[in-house]
Amino acid sequence: MSDTQIIERTLGGEPEAFNTLVRRWERQIYGLTLRMLGRDEEARDATQETFLSAYRNLSKFRGDSKFSSWIYRIAINICNTKLRSRARGVVSLEEQKDLNGFEIAADLHDLSDSIQQEQVATHVRRALQGLPPEMRQVIVMKEYEGLKFAEIADILGIPLSTVKTRMYTGLSELRKRLEHLREAV
Amino acid sequence: MEADKTPVCQMHEALMSYLYDEATPEEIRRVEYHLTECSACKQDITAFGQVRSMLQQWQVDDFPFVRISAASDDRPRRSQLEAFKSLWSVAPMWMKAFGAVAMAVLVLAVMGTELSVGRDGLSIKANLFGWNKAPQIAPGPATNTDEARLEEIRAELKNVVNSMIAENERQQKEEMKARLVSLESQLQTAHEADLAKLAARIQEQRARLKSLERDIDRREGTALSDILFSEVPETPGPRRPSERGGD
Repeated sequence: MSDTQIIERTLGGEPEAFNTLVRRWERQIYGLTLRMLGRDEEARDATQETFLSAYRNLSKFRGDSKFSSWIYRIAINICNTKLRSRARGVVSLEEQKDLNGFEIAADLHDLSDSIQQEQVATHVRRALQGLPPEMRQVIVMKEYEGLKFAEIADILGIPLSTVKTRMYTGLSELRKRLEHLREAV
Repeated sequence: MEADKTPVCQMHEALMSYLYDEATPEEIRRVEYHLTECSACKQDITAFGQVRSMLQQWQVDDFPFVRISAASDDRPRRSQLEAFKSLWSVAPMWMKAFGAVAMAVLVLAVMGTELSVGRDGLSIKANLFGWNKAPQIAPGPATNTDEARLEEIRAELKNVVNSMIAENERQQKEEMKARLVSLESQLQTAHEADLAKLAARIQEQRARLKSLERDIDRREGTALSDILFSEVPETPGPRRPSERGGD
């Protein structure tokens, strides 16, 4: 059954049909929010809020674009709101250390494969979090959600050329930040 | 590296399309030709490939269980017009027929309405089908032929309404049957998805166990607890709502 058919059924008086959409998209939305926010608890809240907002506003979904684009747009907006409110709060260096959880190894050569992979993932997570949100969201949607540049432009409501420019600048920035891992990987 | 780039080298958009296999054949030719001449862009492409493989090291293994409660306040709402449209689309045939007849009667009544202002004030007279004019034009009782004709029309109308109701009941039964089949298939799909999820988790845990065993083998002399607890970073694995307590 297509997303649009499920929406029709939900609006036609079968609210439980919406759960099928949730099951279908929860992984992607959680992946997006986690990589945008970098914190598991916040990402879970954002995922929940995304689906709740989609459910409440389902009648506003026009069907002009895909449901996935619509729900990604909602998720991105929720993440941006959370990031803005986070930016207003002052996070001390100690708190930042707590959020990161632990110190990561500087030299990965001595570590075993699986541990090394997790260490690289932690470096990547930090590097991504250091990017401005507008670059991060493009990289996350491209690299992890596998969306086309045109889809990203549609979701964010920006020109295609801007998406590619942000992607290029973001990758250049990550390249600098992850330079020290290149040999290890 | 980037300092080598000439100011006229405006290839970043094309490089992105090329890197992510979204370039047109013309773009591919242009980029590949450019890469033979521009060392800075060539270095970019190589380095971006490495960055991409590093990005792929961050995979999300566990996912939250999202649940939307269908509380009345949260239900998706439609405008009144949309609600009327959807109500009309699901209304049974007899109701639609009745509504159409009622609308026609209303229109005719409005068309035949007379407004007059007299000594008693404003008076409105609905001249429906001209029935109330009949006594003025042809006073006296209706003929037997008229009554028989009226009876005939009533019987015909009754038959039409009965057949509409029967047709509607048949359609409803068919719809119900189709809905049951669809529900059964959904349940089956959900069941299979849950089983697949469980199998994947088991597989993942096995792989992790194997990996830890390999680590132990490699690190002779290192305490097991050190490997298990000191260097394995905390994964961002979310818990199920039931573990969160109070969700």
